[in-house]
Amino acid sequence: MLMAVLISNSVGNILVERFNGVPSEERLHWRSFLVKLGADNLQRASNEELFVASHKSVHIVYTVLGDVCIYIVGKDAYDELALAEVMFVITSLIKDACKKSPTERLFLDKYGKICLCLDEIFWKGIVENTNKERIKRLTRLKPPGEF
Amino acid sequence: MADSSGTTLMDLITADAPPPPAASYSSSSSVSSTVAGQQYQPQQVSTKTTLGEKKSKRAALLQIQNDTISAAKAALNPVRANIIPYNSQKRKKKPVSYAQLARSIHELAATSDQKSSQKQLVHHVFPKLAVYNSVDPSLAPSLLMLNQQCEDRTVLRYVYYYLARILSDNGSQGLSQGGGIPTPNWDALADIDAVGGVTRADVVPRIVNQLTTEAMNTDVEFHARRLQALKALTYAPSSNTEILSKLYEIVFDILNKVADVPQKKKGLFGAKGGDKESIIRSNLQYAALSALRRLPLDPGNPAFLHRAVQGISFADPVAVRHSLEIISELAARDPYAVAVALGCCPWRYFLIGTDSHHVNFIEASGTLAVVHVLCRPIYLCCDFIKRALQDVLHLHDVLARVSLAKLCHSISRARALDERPDIKSQFNSVLYQLLLDPSERVCFEVILCILGRYDKTERTEERATGWYRLTREILKLPEAPSNSKDKSQKTRRPQPLIKLVMRRLESSFRSFSRPVLHAAARVVQEMGKSRAAAFAVGLQDIDEGVNVNSFSDTADSVDSDMNDDSHPEDIRKATSMSNVGRGKDTIAGMLASLMEVVRTTVACECIYVRAMVIKALIWMQSPYESFDELKSIIAAELSDPAWPATLLNDVLLTLHARFKATPHMAVTLLEIARIFATKVPGKIDADVLQLLWKTCLVGAGPDGKHTALEAVTIVLDLPPPQPGSMSGFTSVDMVSASDPKSALALQRLVQAAVWFLGENANYAASEYAWESATPPGTALMMLDADKMVAAASSRNPTLAGALTRLQRCAFSGSWEIRIVAVQALTTMAIRSGEPFRLQIYEFLHTLAQGGMQSQLSEMHLSNGEDQGASGTGLGVLITPMIKVLDEMYGAQDDLIKEIRNHDNAKKEWTDDELKKLYETHERLLDLVSLFCYVPRAKYLPLGPISAKLIDIYRTRHNISVSTGLSDPAVATGISELIYESKPAPVQPDTLDDDLVNAWAANLGDGPAMNRVNEFLAGAGTDAPDVDEENIISRPSVSYDDMWAKTLLEAPELEEDDVRSSGSSSPESTGSVETSISSHFGGMNYPSLFSSKPSTYSSSQTSIREEPPPYSSPDRYNSFENPLAGRGSQSFGFPDDERVSSGNPQFGTALYDFTAGGDDELSLTAGEEIEVEYEVDGWFYVKKKRPGRDGKMAGLVPVLYVNQS
Repeated sequence: MLMAVLISNSVGNILVERFNGVPSEERLHWRSFLVKLGADNLQRASNEELFVASHKSVHIVYTVLGDVCIYIVGKDAYDELALAEVMFVITSLIKDACKKSPTERLFLDKYGKICLCLDEIFWKGIVENTNKERIKRLTRLKPPGEF
Repeated sequence: MADSSGTTLMDLITADAPPPPAASYSSSSSVSSTVAGQQYQPQQVSTKTTLGEKKSKRAALLQIQNDTISAAKAALNPVRANIIPYNSQKRKKKPVSYAQLARSIHELAATSDQKSSQKQLVHHVFPKLAVYNSVDPSLAPSLLMLNQQCEDRTVLRYVYYYLARILSDNGSQGLSQGGGIPTPNWDALADIDAVGGVTRADVVPRIVNQLTTEAMNTDVEFHARRLQALKALTYAPSSNTEILSKLYEIVFDILNKVADVPQKKKGLFGAKGGDKESIIRSNLQYAALSALRRLPLDPGNPAFLHRAVQGISFADPVAVRHSLEIISELAARDPYAVAVALGCCPWRYFLIGTDSHHVNFIEASGTLAVVHVLCRPIYLCCDFIKRALQDVLHLHDVLARVSLAKLCHSISRARALDERPDIKSQFNSVLYQLLLDPSERVCFEVILCILGRYDKTERTEERATGWYRLTREILKLPEAPSNSKDKSQKTRRPQPLIKLVMRRLESSFRSFSRPVLHAAARVVQEMGKSRAAAFAVGLQDIDEGVNVNSFSDTADSVDSDMNDDSHPEDIRKATSMSNVGRGKDTIAGMLASLMEVVRTTVACECIYVRAMVIKALIWMQSPYESFDELKSIIAAELSDPAWPATLLNDVLLTLHARFKATPHMAVTLLEIARIFATKVPGKIDADVLQLLWKTCLVGAGPDGKHTALEAVTIVLDLPPPQPGSMSGFTSVDMVSASDPKSALALQRLVQAAVWFLGENANYAASEYAWESATPPGTALMMLDADKMVAAASSRNPTLAGALTRLQRCAFSGSWEIRIVAVQALTTMAIRSGEPFRLQIYEFLHTLAQGGMQSQLSEMHLSNGEDQGASGTGLGVLITPMIKVLDEMYGAQDDLIKEIRNHDNAKKEWTDDELKKLYETHERLLDLVSLFCYVPRAKYLPLGPISAKLIDIYRTRHNISVSTGLSDPAVATGISELIYESKPAPVQPDTLDDDLVNAWAANLGDGPAMNRVNEFLAGAGTDAPDVDEENIISRPSVSYDDMWAKTLLEAPELEEDDVRSSGSSSPESTGSVETSISSHFGGMNYPSLFSSKPSTYSSSQTSIREEPPPYSSPDRYNSFENPLAGRGSQSFGFPDDERVSSGNPQFGTALYDFTAGGDDELSLTAGEEIEVEYEVDGWFYVKKKRPGRDGKMAGLVPVLYVNQS
C-alpha cells in the first residue's frame, strides 16, 4: 500500500500530503520524521537523486526537485523499487507541469494541475496510472484510450 | 517560517484584488453566499496567523484603495464584482481567503455557461482552492450544479476532484488529507452556525446520487465523464456500506456489459488502432476494474473472482494489472478457487520471442501457461478456448508482473492443489521464468517468493524449504518449439536458480541507486533468514560445498538433449569434498563472493542502506564461521554518530530475531549486543537489550544458559573499567561513555543488567533452595567466610560468579545500581540454598554496618561518587531484607531445637505445636513473597526438615496443598521453567489450557516484546519515533490499554522508592505480579495478598523466565484473566488502584480543563462529576450532561478534581 506522498518546500513546510491508511495521530509523526529526513540529507542532494529510508517494514523513498522535496512512503508491494518508479512518474509530471525544475513559486502556481496529476497517479493507496500521456489525457477529462 | 522561504502557500492564493466590503454583496450575491462568506471570515484570520502573514501599512493602504476600485466595479458588473479580476495582474498580490474562493464558486456556478466564468474557475478559483486541505460541504450544491451545466472539460475534471474529496473526507475531525492550509472541521462549524450550515451528511447523498446516475449513463459521448464519476465514487470511505453496495452494483453492471462481449480480433497492441467500440469497451473495463480494485476483497464471491479473472484478458494494461493484483490477493486466501477459475476459462500463455515489433507467439497447447521473453517485458497472451487468438497484452507494467509472481507463488505452493501437480508445476515454472525479468523489482519479488517469504505468517519449515529450493532447483527454459520464427533464440542450458540469483544480486550491488542497494540488501537478509531456518531445521543435504552445476547437470542428463557441456569432472570434484567453499561454483563459494560485495556496500553513505546491509550480514552469518569481521564492521559503524537510535534498536532486534532462529548462537550474539551497550549506550533501549538477554538465556537451553549468563554479566564489568577483566577484550570494548548523557544511559543499562542477574541467576545456575540437597544445618557450620566462598564456588560456579559480580556492584556502582544490586542479592538469598544464602546474609550484614570496604578493598573502585558515611549508605534499604533472613534463620533454629526436644523426649507433635509451626511457615512465606517470587507450594522457609511436619498438619486439617493449577506459578507458566526437570504440572481438569496459556503469554508481553513481535511480523504502520523535540501526540487508548500501561510503566515510579524491594525491571515484573495477585489472590491464598495491604505488596517480584512467546498470541485480547470467573471476587486486592465502578465517587471540577486527546474530557470549573476510577494520576469521570464537545465521559487529571 502506498501510505503517504508528501511534498514539502525546502524549509519543511508541507505543500501537499496524501495519506492513506495512516491514523491521524500517526500523521504528525510521519510528517516530522520525513521532514527531518529531508533536512538531514537533501541539503546537498542533486535534483532527482533518490534517497531511501525504512522504518520497520515501511519503505521510504525521497528526493529533491528544484525547491521542493518529495517523499513517498509505502509498504508491502510498494517497496523501495516500486516507490522509485512512482517517484519517477511524479517528478516527471511535476517537471512537465512546471515546464522546468520547479521553484516553490512555480510549484504553487501549478498547484491545481499537480493535484489533478497526483490524483491520476494514485488514489486510495494504490498506484493507478504511470504512463505520462495517459495521465495527461485523464487530467483533461479524456478517456484513457481514444478513438 | 513562511517569510524565510520567500513564498508561501498564501502567496499562491493571492488575489489581485481584495474582496469588496461586505456592503457590496447586496448588489450581487445571494443571501446564502453572503452568509457563507461571513461565516468563514474567522478562518481567514486564523490562516493568516498560521502562516505568519505580515501586513504592512502599505498593504493596508493598498487595500483601501483596492476596495474602492472593486466596489466601483461591483456596481458596474455584478457578476465579476466578487471574483478575482484578472486584469489587474500588476497590483500587489494579496491573499484570497477561503471564504472568497467559496463565494466565487457559488457565483461562477450560476454563470458557468460563460467562457469568462469557466476561465476564472480553471485558472484561479479551483487551483487555489486545492491548496486548502479540505473542501467545505456547503460548496457541494454549486459543484453539482457546475457538474450538470458546465461543458468545459477542465472545469468538470476539477469538479470531480472536489466532489471526490468531499466524499473521502471522514469528517470526524475535519482531518482529511491534503496538506497545504489547514481547514476547520466543517461539520462542527456548520453545527455551531445558527442559520443552519451544510454538513457532509446533508450533501453526500446528493453527490452519490448524481455520481451514480452519471456512472450508469451509457451514452457513448458521456463515457469519459462516466469513468471520472465512477472514480470519484470510489473515494467514499469503505465504512459506508450504502455507497459500497451501490458501487458493487455499478461495477458489476458495467462488467456484465463489457467483460463478456466477444472481442474482435485486432492489432496485437490492442488499444492502438482499434475501433471506437472496442476502445470504449476497454476504457469502461479499465474504469470498472480500477473501481473493483478499490472495493474490499470479496473472497467467497464467485462473480467477483470471475470478473477479476476475465480482467486478465482486457486490453487496458492498467486494468490487467488491477485484475492480476486482485487475483493474487485472492489466491493468497483461496488458491484452489483461483486456480479453478483460471482453469475454467482456460487461458493460455504463449511463448513470445520478440524484438520491438516483431512478435512471435507460439501456442503452448494444453493448459500450460508459460511465457518467456528474452530479457524483455513479459508478453502475456491469453484467450478463451473457443476463440482464436485475439489479444496479446503488452505488459510494461512492473507491478503487474510482481502480482503475477505472487499469484504463481500462491498457486504453486498451495496445499489445496496437492492433487494437481500439473497446475502447480506450471505456475512454478512461470515463477522461475520471472526470475529473468529485466526489472529488479520483479526479480527480487520472485526471489522472495522462492525463499518462502511471502506472507507474514511464515514458518520455519517454509523458509527452510525455500532455501532448499533456491539452492537446488533449476530453471529450465521452455524448449523453443519448432515453429518458432525467431531462430536467434538459442537453446539455453538450464540454469541453477542460485546462480541466477547470485549474479543478479551481485550486479544490483554494483548499482549506484540507493533504492536498488537497499532492496538488494533486503533480499540478502531474507536469504539469510531462510538459510538460518534451513540450518535450524537441520535440512540434511545443506552441504554448501556441493557444486551447483552438479544439480543442473543431473537435470541435464534427465533432459538428454540439453547436456551439451556437462562436466563430469565438475561432478567428481564437487562430490569429493576437497573443494568445500573454494570452487567458484559451489554454493559456499558463490555466497562468499556475494557477501564480499555486500560487505563493501557498508561504505554506502546512506545510513539506511548500511543498516540493511548489517542486518543482512547478521542473518547471513554462518554459525560455523568467525564472527570477527561482523563484529568489527558493527563496531566501526557504531562509532558513526549519524546512526539514529531507532535504527540501532532495529539492528538489535535483528540480532534478537537471529537468535530465535538459531538459538545456539546465543553467546556470540550476546557479545555483539554488548558492543552496542558499550559503544552507544545512549541510543539503545534498555528494554530491547534486556529482552535480548532474556531470550538468549531462556533459549540457550540447559547447557548454554551458564555461558549466556556469563555473557550478560560481562556488561557489569563495564562501568568502572576493571583492569583485570578488560584484558581479554579487543579494542571494540573501549567504553565510549565519555559524555554525561551516555554515561547515564550506560548506568541504566548496567542497572538493567544487575536486575536481570538477580532475577535470573538462579535459573541460569539451576540452583533453587527448594531443590537444595544441603540441609541448612551444615551451612551453619561453615561460618568461616573463606571456606564458605570456596565451597560455594565449587558447588555452583555460575551462581558464585554472579554473586561476586553483584557484590561488587553493591559497592562500586552508582547509588541506583547499588540499590538494585542489593535487591538482586536478596532475591538470590531467598531463592538459593546454602551456602549461598548464608554468604549473602553475611555480606548484607557487613554492608549494613559499613566497613566492608576495607575487606573488599581490591574491589572498591571509586566512580567518583561519595560512597557515604556508612560506606554504602544502604542501611535503610538493607534492614528489612536482613530482618527476613534473620527471621528465617531464627525460625530454622527454633525448629531444629523443637525437633531435638521431641526426639529426645520421644513424644509426638501435638496439634497445637504443628499449628504453630504451620503458622510460622505461612508467615515466613508471606514475608519472603514480599521480596521476590517463590513457588509457595514448594518453598520451605523453615528448611527441608520442616516438610514432613507441615505435610502432616496439612493432611490433618485438609489444607489443600497449592500445587497444580491453583498455584499462580503453574497457571502463569512460570513453574514450567522453574521446575524444568519435571514434566509440566498443568492439569487439564477444569480449565482451558489455551486460555490459561494465552493469558500467561500476555503477561510476558512487555513493550519491548510487542516491539519484537511486531518487528518480526513486519507490522509497520506505526509511526516512526521522532526525536524528543517533536510533539508527542496522545493516541487514544482504551482503559484496558491504560491499565496495562500502568503495569508496564510502574518501575519508573518505583525507582525512587527505596523500600520497593525488588522490581526495577524495565518490564516491571513486580507490577505483573500485582496483576497476578489481584487475579489469583482470592483463590487459595486469602492471607497472602489480601491481609497485608502494605506498601510492599505492590512491589513484589517474580521469576519471569518463561520464554517469550515465539508465535505471538493475540496480544490485543487485553489482560483479561480467563480464570477470573472462578476465584471469588471478595478476596480482591484491597488497594487495587481501581476504585470499583460500582461505588462511584462524586466531585467537582476545581479548574477549567481542556482535553488534550480523544480520551480526555474537558471540564469547566465547578462542574459536578462522577469519578469512576483512577488510573495513573488521572480520573476517569462522567459528567451529568454532555459538554460543548458532546462528550460525557473521559479522563481528567486528578488534581483538577475535588472529590466530595
